Amino acid sequence: MTVKVKSSASRRRRRSPYIPWQMIFDLLAIAAWSWLLLRYWITGTINVLLHPDYHWLAIAAGIFLGILAVVKLQQVIQGVRSQRPLPKMPHTTLFPVGFSSTLLLGIAIVGFIVTPRPFASDLAVQRGVADTLIMTRSQPQSFRTSTRPEDRSVIDWVRTLNVYPEPDAYAGQPVRVEGFAVHSRELSDNYLTITRFVITCCAADVYPVGLPVKLSTNRLDYPADTWFRVEGEMITETLNGTRQLVIQATALTEIPEPANPYDY
Amino acid sequence: MTVKLTNALTLFFSLLVEAMPFLLLGVLLSSLLLLFVDERRLIAVMPKHPLAGALAGSLAGFLFPVCECGNVPVARRLLMQGAPSSMAVGFLLAAPTVNPIVFWATWTAFRDQPEIVFLRILFSLTIAVIVGWTFSQQVDLRPMMQPSVARLMPTPVPPSQVGQSALLQSGTFLLDAAGQPIRLDNLVVAGGTVISRPFPERLQLMIDNVTQEFRELGGMLVIGSAIASMVQVFVPREIILSLGQGPITSILAMMALAWVVSICSTVDSFFALAFASTFTSGSLLAFLVFGPMIDLKNIGLLLTVFRGRTILYLFMLAGQLTFLFSLVMNLYIS
Repeated sequence: MTVKVKSSASRRRRRSPYIPWQMIFDLLAIAAWSWLLLRYWITGTINVLLHPDYHWLAIAAGIFLGILAVVKLQQVIQGVRSQRPLPKMPHTTLFPVGFSSTLLLGIAIVGFIVTPRPFASDLAVQRGVADTLIMTRSQPQSFRTSTRPEDRSVIDWVRTLNVYPEPDAYAGQPVRVEGFAVHSRELSDNYLTITRFVITCCAADVYPVGLPVKLSTNRLDYPADTWFRVEGEMITETLNGTRQLVIQATALTEIPEPANPYDY
Repeated sequence: MTVKLTNALTLFFSLLVEAMPFLLLGVLLSSLLLLFVDERRLIAVMPKHPLAGALAGSLAGFLFPVCECGNVPVARRLLMQGAPSSMAVGFLLAAPTVNPIVFWATWTAFRDQPEIVFLRILFSLTIAVIVGWTFSQQVDLRPMMQPSVARLMPTPVPPSQVGQSALLQSGTFLLDAAGQPIRLDNLVVAGGTVISRPFPERLQLMIDNVTQEFRELGGMLVIGSAIASMVQVFVPREIILSLGQGPITSILAMMALAWVVSICSTVDSFFALAFASTFTSGSLLAFLVFGPMIDLKNIGLLLTVFRGRTILYLFMLAGQLTFLFSLVMNLYIS
């Protein structure tokens, strides 16, 4: 008789074991985000997303979430073994139970599938490539630019122009800059804009800067979004009614896209 | 279309990766303080004058660096433990902004426009103090609260009864062993705090709180970031520019956006950064000041404390003051 009671009790237990589903979902979401952040760092994709000054923050967050995931795993195991829920903080939740963790987990999975790509000419055209820095943009009080004009990058040229905007002052100076080609609608077919994106914090605030390049052939020979090293000299031209600095190209060499696509 | 989608996704993940560390830091600190700091001691040292109380409450964010989801439960506990209304309302409105983590995050995003960082703090503090002071006119907050919270709140002692024997005051009392009367409502609250529990259990609860807040606020961050990146990529630039450059339309648009997007105050500066090149500085400030005070998300949370009409008062006061300050910024400062 006693044996019978025991076996029916254990059958009852076996029928409905306590499984902390919410905790398991939380654990999966936390572990997925930890891995996603660390993966961005390991693969170098983080360069596309953040300014290098803030990489450590994302890495630290990845490590913290990793530790939290291990602790949560222990709690899940403890919960399953002891067959009773752990003490909980009373909490007011806005979303239905399980919604947020499923959302976080789902987005992390999207992050594993889709690799963020550096922005290209379409965004540059949408945001408007300019050789000036507008009010809300980073305007360093001092910056060190090379004294040799041929060592200046696109952003160095733009900053120099911002300080002393008279184009004639630079006419005749040698140029050697790298960037990707943008085919601007405002310019005729023998011009392209050699462009770089500048990042201050994260990809949300990147803005394009560029200089027009005068070509000896049609720009279709130099497809948009391809990276080039442009060599030549500065000339002054009037484009769309404004007198501005233009690079008269003598050589355009195709180069591979750099690992870190942004300038600072 | 595919390129636009890729751009939107890059923007989306960039916002998430930048915001996640700040979100975690906020969640971690609020959980630590929730379980290891005794709020009753804090209330005991608060100044009694309504203006000073509102200011002290507004600055308490430096002790409880919580964002707007963390501050409602804290404000609720403060009220239930007998905090004066000026302090609780000041804390409710200012704490999500006037705290070191939000300052750091805003600085990270807007280090090239330091005026935004400092004016954000100044405007939030001023608005919180003004609204807190206004609410202090109501000595007994209980009619403005949800009945479940009002029941747990101690009866405020009217100024005329301060210093009087407990026997001359109204309320429910028990006699202790020495025959001294103890207010029953104070006793009920004192037993319910987390801080009185043993350390291992508090640690367990802290981890649980970190997880719950990360999950809830992370979900909100995902939705907010998705809206921000879609607006950036899919809405034609001309529309955004025409809206964002008017001194009044830009403020109204950003306040409406802050209300809808409901993004956490530790990370909202990164969201605002996405609009920095197209919107006026005043409107960015309006977004950063108004959003953490009242938005679509924390109306749900506020309804766990206040009655609807009280939330409407808070919303109107905070909204109008934000609009006024941002307009001054747009017209006279920037």
